[in-house]
Amino acid sequence: MQHSTLMAAPEALHPSLWRASQLGQAATRCLDTGFAALSAQLPGGGWPGGCLIDLLLQQAGCGELRLLAPALAQLGGLPIVLLQPPHPPQALALAALGLAPSQLLWLRSTGSKDALWAAENILRSGNCGALLFWQPHVRGDSLRRLHLAAQGGNTLFCMLRPLHGAQDASPAPLRLSLRPAAGGIEIGFIKRRGPQRDAPLFLPLQPPSLLQRHASLDRPLPAPAPARSLLPELVG
Amino acid sequence: MALSPLAGQAGIKPGMRRGGALMLAPQARLFERSPTLEAQALQEVALALLQFSPLVAHGEEATLLVDAGASLRLFGGVRALCRQIATSLRALGYTAVLSCAPTARGAWLLANAGTEASARRVLGMASLARRLDRLPVGLLPPARPYLDWFEGIGCRTLGQLRRLPRPGLQRRCGAALLSMLDDAHGHGTELFVWIAAPPTFRASLELFDRVENAEALLFGARRLLQQMTGWLCARQLAVERIALLLAHERGLQARAPTVVELALGEAVWRDEHLLRLLKERLAQLVLEAPVIGLTLEALQVLPMAPPSETLFPEPGGTPEDRQRLMELLVARLGSNNVLQAAPLADYRPETANRWLPLAGKSSGKLPASDLPPGLPGMPRPGWLLAQPIALLMREHRPFYGSPLKMVSVAERIEAGWWGQSQARDYFIAEGRDHAHYWVYRERIAGSGEEAAPRWFLHGLFA
Repeated sequence: MQHSTLMAAPEALHPSLWRASQLGQAATRCLDTGFAALSAQLPGGGWPGGCLIDLLLQQAGCGELRLLAPALAQLGGLPIVLLQPPHPPQALALAALGLAPSQLLWLRSTGSKDALWAAENILRSGNCGALLFWQPHVRGDSLRRLHLAAQGGNTLFCMLRPLHGAQDASPAPLRLSLRPAAGGIEIGFIKRRGPQRDAPLFLPLQPPSLLQRHASLDRPLPAPAPARSLLPELVG
Repeated sequence: MALSPLAGQAGIKPGMRRGGALMLAPQARLFERSPTLEAQALQEVALALLQFSPLVAHGEEATLLVDAGASLRLFGGVRALCRQIATSLRALGYTAVLSCAPTARGAWLLANAGTEASARRVLGMASLARRLDRLPVGLLPPARPYLDWFEGIGCRTLGQLRRLPRPGLQRRCGAALLSMLDDAHGHGTELFVWIAAPPTFRASLELFDRVENAEALLFGARRLLQQMTGWLCARQLAVERIALLLAHERGLQARAPTVVELALGEAVWRDEHLLRLLKERLAQLVLEAPVIGLTLEALQVLPMAPPSETLFPEPGGTPEDRQRLMELLVARLGSNNVLQAAPLADYRPETANRWLPLAGKSSGKLPASDLPPGLPGMPRPGWLLAQPIALLMREHRPFYGSPLKMVSVAERIEAGWWGQSQARDYFIAEGRDHAHYWVYRERIAGSGEEAAPRWFLHGLFA
């Protein structure tokens, strides 16, 4: 009798057990993403703190900061470290997303060794609320090292890497790919503690502007017509 | 006369002649015993021991007496204290025999007797008396001239000495022997001249060899830091600025010592943080010449502020912890690479997006950031390119990877007539891959409408 009930719900035995059809439970505190549709798809219902999150971007500037901003705004004044961003970050844009300029730290480094050292020290100290680390090429053992360092604290730690890194193995329990889409971004789930999801998730994320007075319209650009490509009877 | 364990393995014994020792081990290095160097080493150790108690005194025959009775609880008991003292001595590069007893003379006797470690640690008066009774008479310096006589009357241990009639003993051997014995058993009052810490700190160290690798200097720096910790604790000070001077060998021309200066935002009196900072600084240092000596100076000190403990730990550590992390990052990456946002009230985006090096305590607080009103509605991209990129034109459209489509009306920014004048119309543009860009059209005064507009990419909406 008892055996059969246990077999019916084995996920109730231990928090780290889950069925292949279910989302896993998070072992650590999760930060709400601010997007209900995305939170519902993540184990634990948000960005997990104290572990490596792999975000794979099609290009720099496809909405990654707008996606993370609601979670970063919940950190309550703890420092947010931007380590080796691809371009100079604009404090006004981040302030508009709810991040106070006094909590923003921009670290530049001269080499990847220094950057990895800085990331590891920030994670080990646990004094910062979040660490966003841009590094195009990173070896598997470095990733594992950073993941271990992150587990000591509760820092929200995101590695932002180009999309072609998706083929390489990574110790991150959560790996998402981000692509810009019409009127928002598309999030692909490469790896998560939960069922495989092939269809990307669409999140509406428009750049903030009062200047867009018109609703956005999906209007394809007219296809350029090379000379002599149209049939004469159509033109005539 | 002393020899290293390595020399002992080679077969050298104390009392050998110089030639005999060199024959057994030709590579052996012989040193003359130098009383000044020994006194200096003892002074170094005394300075380092001041971190455990302000009451440190010199004893006879190269011993140091530390009165730690009042602070046993602070260090977590006698064993923990002994362990900490041993660690600190090892960091200094010395070995020592540690003993502890309720009386200073008792501890001195136990240390000089050279019994095993557990027998040298005595807490009760009764057990101290038992231990002392078993020690040989010759340990007491005033008894040494009369050793033959003691031998003759069959008095070999301190216990037997104590049972001799006191008046006769005093008449034969003097009062010093009896008073020393009384001190050891706590019957007399012991008086010491406590070592006073000097008013300023400056410690030097001569290295054993010429050091050409900056990281190898860390060992020497650790020895000096140990001494500074003792000095700071004794004078109840915390250090804000220290300098490490690396003395170079005098070649053909004299070379000024290299100075490594550390300035701290938060004054400290423990050496772990200083050691980590020095490690990063030394790792970056390029030595121009081999180093033969180190000098550590405390340039700026403050009264020590006791740590204030909160009942519940704050998330993300205390502000002091955070400050320490920032100092560590600045030490490795350089102060120009650790930047904090300090937006400026200006219409021009490049000027408004101001990032300043993280301010230490000395340069004051960062200026308050000015945020314009109505910020949430302003189209400002997350990435602002360091240098605007001139865009190609294809079919009268700006082109960046794909033709760009304007999705907003223009925002005119025209400012800076007093310096770098700007007159631009900013648009949000969308590429064919639906990424959003911040582009502007340069407005050139004087050019007519027919002049081809020049487009630039200035930001990416991240």
